[in-house]
Amino acid sequence: MISQHLNDRITRIAPGTPAGAVLRQYWQPAALVDELAHGPLVPVNLLGERLVLQQGAQGLELATRVASPEEAPTHYPASDAIQIDPTGPVYPTETRAGLVFAYLGDGAPPPFPAFDCFRAPDTHVFAFKGLWECNWLQALEIGIDPAHASFLHRFLEDEDPADSYGKQFRDKAGATEIPMTKLLRDYPRPEIKVDETDYGLKITALRHMENGHTHVRVTNQIFPEAICIPMSREMTITQWHVPVDDQTCYWVTVFTSFDKPVNKDLMRAQRLKEHRLPDYAPLKNRRNDYHYDPAEQAALTYTGMGLDINVHDQWAVEGMGRIQDRTQEHLGRSDVAIIRYRRMLRRMMDALEQGDRAALPMHGAGAAGILGPLSNDAIAETADWQAVSRAADLARRAACPWDATV
Amino acid sequence: MTAATPQAKGWVQIATLADLNRPRPLIPVTLAGRRLVLFRDDEGQLGLIGRHCPHRGADLCYGRLEDNGLRCPFHGWHFNRTGQCVEQPAEPEGSRMHEQIRIPMVPVREVDGAIWAQVGVELEQAAAAETEA
Repeated sequence: MISQHLNDRITRIAPGTPAGAVLRQYWQPAALVDELAHGPLVPVNLLGERLVLQQGAQGLELATRVASPEEAPTHYPASDAIQIDPTGPVYPTETRAGLVFAYLGDGAPPPFPAFDCFRAPDTHVFAFKGLWECNWLQALEIGIDPAHASFLHRFLEDEDPADSYGKQFRDKAGATEIPMTKLLRDYPRPEIKVDETDYGLKITALRHMENGHTHVRVTNQIFPEAICIPMSREMTITQWHVPVDDQTCYWVTVFTSFDKPVNKDLMRAQRLKEHRLPDYAPLKNRRNDYHYDPAEQAALTYTGMGLDINVHDQWAVEGMGRIQDRTQEHLGRSDVAIIRYRRMLRRMMDALEQGDRAALPMHGAGAAGILGPLSNDAIAETADWQAVSRAADLARRAACPWDATV
Repeated sequence: MTAATPQAKGWVQIATLADLNRPRPLIPVTLAGRRLVLFRDDEGQLGLIGRHCPHRGADLCYGRLEDNGLRCPFHGWHFNRTGQCVEQPAEPEGSRMHEQIRIPMVPVREVDGAIWAQVGVELEQAAAAETEA
């Protein structure tokens, strides 16, 4: 449990708030490149500000637009209905990995680290996003919680991993024939290790199996509001939880392939089927009970909300309320990465309030040279898990058609 | 929303037995502004407990009715009809943390085809009284 004061401090992101100041010190995904087809002016609702992408003298820039206070958080006006507010700030942008990033902070923007999603060629990345009607922090916290996958995403039966393209947790585990769904179900008590790194946190979930073997799943928290996790043996997910306002956020994901070019048409079609445009709101949501089916919950999935794990996550985080009431929570050992993350966020808010911008991750010299992060599944003899996890990552990188060396 | 009970001070009708006559006997209930969940366990007994999981706040209206109680789909925390947490399957083997975890509970009873709940007492106090009884 934490105090209401602290909960407010770590969740609120409008201009002038301590957490908002930390987020503004990093490049934020403002729009998908796909959205530029909307017209010359593309609305952007980001960090409590009402903004618009437009072509400026220096290329694409993020200006301020005139907006009524009654606008819905994700209001998305037609290009010709947008009026620029010339008194508002104008922010720089950079286009990477199918996303338009914007920098809303003071001072010079930090460099982009050399993460895999930024090194891979355009053929090997695909970006998409989706709306969650809740605060960004609870959206992030489910992504740094390795235990929940054994429950929330439990499938009571396993699909054929051959049908798994573009889907999370449907591949085989490591170099075995065991479906990930079975492994997660059979070993629900991961031992979780958290290491602070130059980009955020490395989170290792160890699932100790019967025969002296251990399943090693490495995921990452990339400060301040992203995660990098394995999706399949072929792809990783780098996902930002970007605040629209205090009560609304987008997950914005780059899928990065270490093997074949991404089948973008298939990936896009799979996801557009579950969302509406232009606001990328999911078709399953709290207004239709996430299509909850008690019979399915009894027989097929843990939630009764279908096979798309995004919907499970969405239900979990939206069901907490628009801003989770952390004065009522009881964190356990499985929440160790959440505890470590909040500690880090508080330290960085304090540092920024002291004017110590250089204390923030990826703000120092060498930030542009940060590689990786390692993000994969492996199965090892228990004594060797660290070496095997590392070797599995290096093998994937060595076979990668683009330069993924570390 | 609810009618005053003719039987005893502080009890109000919150549902009928027919409301729970379904394959998954669980419904959300709002009582005195508090969001609760009413369910029937495997022994046929009623539980009326707080709607949010005390772990990270997930909505127990979508919980799994199994093992004679209600299980949160987020991390499998399992609660009996008094709101006591009886299992935390993601916590380390041998963990006793669950003994300290309890969801506020409101006393509930069935009378003549109706389900009644006791109000006028803070829900946490009601839960404490139930423990001592």
